[in-house]
Amino acid sequence: MPIQYYIILSLALFCIGIVGVLVRRNAIIIFMCIELMLNAVNLLLVAFSKMQYNTAVIANKATTVGAEGQLFVFFIMVVAAAEVSVGLAIIVMMFRNTHSIDVNFLNRLKN
Amino acid sequence: MNAIILSALGGIVMMFTGIFTQNKIVIKNIAIITLLLLLIGNLLHFYGIYMLHVDVKDMLQFNNFGLFFNTIAFTSTLIYFLLSGTDITKVGINVAEYFALIFFVLCGVSILTSFHNLLMLFLGIEILSIPLYILTGADKKNLKSNEAALKYFLMGSFSTGILLMGIALLYGASGNFSIESVPSTTSKVAEMANSSILTPLGLLFVFVALLFKVSAAPFHFWVPDVYDGAPSVFTSFMATIAKAVGFIAFIFLFESRIAELGPSSRIIIPFVIILTLLIGNITAVFQQSVKRMLAYSSIAQAGFMLFVLYSNNDISSEGILLYSVAYSFATIGIFAILIKMKDYTFEGYNGLAKKEPLIAAANTIFLLSLAGIPLTAGFFAKYYMLLSAIKANGQNALWLVIVAVLFAAVSVYYYFRVIQAMYFKEGNPEIATTNTSFKVILLALAAIIIFIGLFPTVVLNFLYF
Amino acid sequence: MHWLLLASDATNNSAYSYFPIGIQLIFAAGFVAFMIALSQWVGPKRKTNDKLQNFTSGIASHGDARQPMAIKYFLVAILFVLFDVEVIFFYPYAVNFRELGWAGFGAVVMFVSFFLLGFIYIIKKGALKWED
Repeated sequence: MPIQYYIILSLALFCIGIVGVLVRRNAIIIFMCIELMLNAVNLLLVAFSKMQYNTAVIANKATTVGAEGQLFVFFIMVVAAAEVSVGLAIIVMMFRNTHSIDVNFLNRLKN
Repeated sequence: MNAIILSALGGIVMMFTGIFTQNKIVIKNIAIITLLLLLIGNLLHFYGIYMLHVDVKDMLQFNNFGLFFNTIAFTSTLIYFLLSGTDITKVGINVAEYFALIFFVLCGVSILTSFHNLLMLFLGIEILSIPLYILTGADKKNLKSNEAALKYFLMGSFSTGILLMGIALLYGASGNFSIESVPSTTSKVAEMANSSILTPLGLLFVFVALLFKVSAAPFHFWVPDVYDGAPSVFTSFMATIAKAVGFIAFIFLFESRIAELGPSSRIIIPFVIILTLLIGNITAVFQQSVKRMLAYSSIAQAGFMLFVLYSNNDISSEGILLYSVAYSFATIGIFAILIKMKDYTFEGYNGLAKKEPLIAAANTIFLLSLAGIPLTAGFFAKYYMLLSAIKANGQNALWLVIVAVLFAAVSVYYYFRVIQAMYFKEGNPEIATTNTSFKVILLALAAIIIFIGLFPTVVLNFLYF
Repeated sequence: MHWLLLASDATNNSAYSYFPIGIQLIFAAGFVAFMIALSQWVGPKRKTNDKLQNFTSGIASHGDARQPMAIKYFLVAILFVLFDVEVIFFYPYAVNFRELGWAGFGAVVMFVSFFLLGFIYIIKKGALKWED
């Protein structure tokens, strides 16, 4: 399949994530939208990795071009897991004090 | 390499110190000793002495510039530990963990001063940010701290998502993660991916994400809330070391590639600088709380540091180092005093000069340095940044320099409000008792700032020795 | 490093190569639908009021399911996720096991020992202590 399909799909997912972050008011859902953004990037990286390989392999059968892209995805996954644990801990801490995870309540610092 | 390994190990040492002892003074002293070892390890790197020989596959590259920034960051942290170490132990019950997290932040700093690969940029930024999210929320029972942590976390991971998208697009265009623009090995790849669009778009995403991290307008909105809500000790650390390193990452990344952002880059950067200066300075004027004023002023200072992107030459690289020193030292000093105050409003400082003349004098020097008054380090820092702009673009940059100087004049107003409150207003400021060593270190810090203000080249010669 | 790419075949990568997957998807969905329909159609039916009640292991159900849970479950779950995801780095190592040799083994042992340190840390901190 042409690479354009993958680019469009992952940009669409990325935009859904961004709109979700901007529009939704529930901290958990905002958080999930951020994860969606990261996964859109993962998809794009894997697609590009494959693309780079497919073009390089014609010239050289034993090429390893494109492996870095997939390894980068591993790093994104691991860092995302670390972020999830910190983020959920912060949300739980918030919930224990306010009994709400609505970000509209985040206005104590405004003045 | 020494700095990265030692700071990570230092973090682990601090974690386990917390298990074996609960004595706050012991923990603090172990942290200071570990930090000294880290500083020595980093200095040894200058002389080519390594702990381990690791084949980094060109993902990291060490040069004097990065190592020198490491030295600045570690020295600032050392001063910060000496001045505010006792206050760190008062934030909560998990004392050793706070120090451990600070060491992990320093690990992120040392990666960001040596990265030569986008993977390392990403890891460095994350290792820097994640401990900061936790430190922001360290005051668990305080709603403001919770709120700041949640905001910082959501905004930080959002900008990480944008950064990653940029990296993915750059990868699509070039087929590797090197920070230099290496043309793709096969021309067909470029053709397939329309890399003429991918590269500028990817760079733009990375640019925006880094603007988020260095709190430049129009991506500054999280800064005042987060800096205000976080426990004051950690705001001090966040606003100085963690922020200045963002500019180093900026330089490494955009040194050679700024033009690839497209012809609009000549407009975008001055626009960002002026907007940052405008929002930071004008909003700071209207603040009632000194802590919040410092948050806005840190945005304004970021505006000056952004000149490094505009001019992008040798003088600006020297200038950013000088700026980091001047800004970090002064801000750490001001915050060390702020933490001791009961009342964070301007009125809280009324009559401080009568009660604590030494502390008030030191605070005055720090504020003068931030405002950029001659004879302090802050003056030469600002001077170098503006000079670099003139050197880079000649007459065309003159209007930008004039605007920057005007905003620097605005900043004098709100810095002098604190000085005025301390010296010319009657009042009975409530300040926690301070011991002699605190005052000695504070005055030494003030002396260093004046010394750098008199002989700025002493610092910069260090870069070329 | 080319293990990641072994499965791909550059010359034969078109929409057509997804055809077997499509067939399998249709078959899987069809099979599930068929079995559900079959059990509905063939199986005996006895409609009583008791069947509409919630069933909780024979104990009469009461209250809402959305009650606050003990924070311990959350802590254990998060720690599980953290330690579980790191296993991802063993995957490239396992595939390149021979090529990397002893140097690779040393690196992995170092990686695991850092994990062990983290594990010792959470045990010493009492994060996994179930009883109060």
